[in-house]
Amino acid sequence: MPSGPSYLRVFLTFARNSLVRNMTFRGNFLIETFSSMSWVFMNLGFYILVFQHTPRIGDVSNWGEYSFAWGKYEFFLFLSTTLMVNSLVQALFMENASEFGEMIRTGTLDFALLKPIDTQFLISLQRIDWSSLGNLVVGIGLAVFSLHKIGWVPSVWQVLLFMLFVICGVAIMYSLMIALAATSIWLGRNQSLYNFWFYITNFSRYPMEIYRGTYGTPLRMFFTFIIPVLVVVNVPARFLVRPLVPQTPMDLLLPVFAFVATVASLVGSRWVFNRSLLSYRSASS
Amino acid sequence: MTMAVVEIESLAKSYRVYQKAEGLAASVAGLFHRKYRTVEAVRGIDLTVEAGEFVAFLGPNGAGKTTTLKLLSGVINPTSGTARVLGHVPWRRENAYRRRFALVMGQKNQLWWDLPAAESFRLHQQIYRIDPAEFDRTRDELTGMLAIRNLLSQPVRELSLGERMKMELTAALLHKPDVLFLDEPTIGLDVVAQYKIQDFLKHYQRERGITTLLTSHYMKDVAALCRRVVIITHGRIMFDGSLAQIVDRFGGHKVITLLFADGHIPGDLGVYGEVISEEPPRAKVRVDRGDVTATLGRILQQHPVVDVNVEDPPLEEMIAEVFSQVDESAGKDGELVVGRGG
Repeated sequence: MPSGPSYLRVFLTFARNSLVRNMTFRGNFLIETFSSMSWVFMNLGFYILVFQHTPRIGDVSNWGEYSFAWGKYEFFLFLSTTLMVNSLVQALFMENASEFGEMIRTGTLDFALLKPIDTQFLISLQRIDWSSLGNLVVGIGLAVFSLHKIGWVPSVWQVLLFMLFVICGVAIMYSLMIALAATSIWLGRNQSLYNFWFYITNFSRYPMEIYRGTYGTPLRMFFTFIIPVLVVVNVPARFLVRPLVPQTPMDLLLPVFAFVATVASLVGSRWVFNRSLLSYRSASS
Repeated sequence: MTMAVVEIESLAKSYRVYQKAEGLAASVAGLFHRKYRTVEAVRGIDLTVEAGEFVAFLGPNGAGKTTTLKLLSGVINPTSGTARVLGHVPWRRENAYRRRFALVMGQKNQLWWDLPAAESFRLHQQIYRIDPAEFDRTRDELTGMLAIRNLLSQPVRELSLGERMKMELTAALLHKPDVLFLDEPTIGLDVVAQYKIQDFLKHYQRERGITTLLTSHYMKDVAALCRRVVIITHGRIMFDGSLAQIVDRFGGHKVITLLFADGHIPGDLGVYGEVISEEPPRAKVRVDRGDVTATLGRILQQHPVVDVNVEDPPLEEMIAEVFSQVDESAGKDGELVVGRGG
């Protein structure tokens, strides 16, 4: 008896099958790619407008070692990080998470539970939405363009750390998403997934420097320590924008925290996922 | 000595269901205070199935047949009791177990809807880690037997229901399971497709000696395939034996078909038994099993009969009778336990 399946090969088959499926509905595929890209460019236009009113976001003077001022192109680097994280999450997990809710509602989760493979892996990755990867390309393009405008060439280490923490960010977002989707086992139906996604990404897509004052500080604390979405984009983006040395204590602590938060999110969401399966009732028939 | 493949002991599963009242006001009230009722889908089942058996689960809708199959597949967890299949506790969902059985459901499909079945099969090959050469051989053999080889590259959504079911069966058997659970595999199919699937299952099961549990509402499936029948109603096993035993135990009467010489059906036929149908020159009379010879003798003496046929009532009718008998006795202790929750 062979031991277990090769997860990489299964994933590649998922990716391949999804691509074939995406291509079957070519028109739909093109429209999806186009509409999500135009959303990006509209956003970009909006921030160009904002930067007509202010040279930078965040202020060095009031916040001491914690803060960082984001000029226009620094902010575009931040924005490109958001794009990369979001497009990866959407391409890999978004469709699967909403499909998961549907499988619970209709009872087709049965088949996933029968397969001799990790159920969470199967549920989380069986469909890949290739059309969402268009924004990954746009994000990389925007990053290269912004770096060029600043005249700043990041070191190899910076790029590697950037990539590592983009992956951490994706993992945090994924954990939130799959945990939320798993609640449909108890709720019978949970359609708030897309809304939730919008609310959360709304908070994660700004530099944490803007969360200050009587309203901002509690928000920053909440979205850092309770639902750690603020570290999702902020941590990798900082690695790209600022040189690695010199570092402030905060610059060191935040990535360490982000890493811990990633592990905790993954462990926590796996726990929720497994708990939810215990309550699965397998609808109809 | 044969080996027990399925061992079930006092297996029970109950669900708490939100009881939704009608009307808007009640719906709003339901937001704050909910009434639940407990549905006992399976109420303590004991069953042993030996290797190579083909067992049918019969019972009305909601009797607990499918729930039992789902418990044995490890898809849901039981409320109490134990079960072992091939030595594994199903709901632990160990890969070692999951690689050895398959579940086919007539009402749910697992193949990728927009892709050709061949692509889904390929995915199965990887998930079950089937040796490529063996995979090709098994796939060709199954699709050959089911006569669907030419449909492999057509998107599943373009297949007919019967073709799709054959593809589902193929997908489920690619990894050569030792135990097969079939939940109404022929539901909604036309007679020809039903027959073909029955025929396939019969041969496949016999050839491979695979232990099979089947639920179906089509008595033809059951009669064609299973020597052993388990009747489940209200979550309990009411009968476990052969089809012939059902006839002995529940077939309390026989049906006598009479062909009258003069084409005229006598008016007093009712005295011999219940007249089921009158289609001159034929009439059908239902007679108690023990009285068949005596009654027939009297009829033949009194009336000009040219042909006689004595047979058991149709299996469907007999099973329906079993169900309704059980219904009457079970109605008293009540199917539902009503409870309240917050």
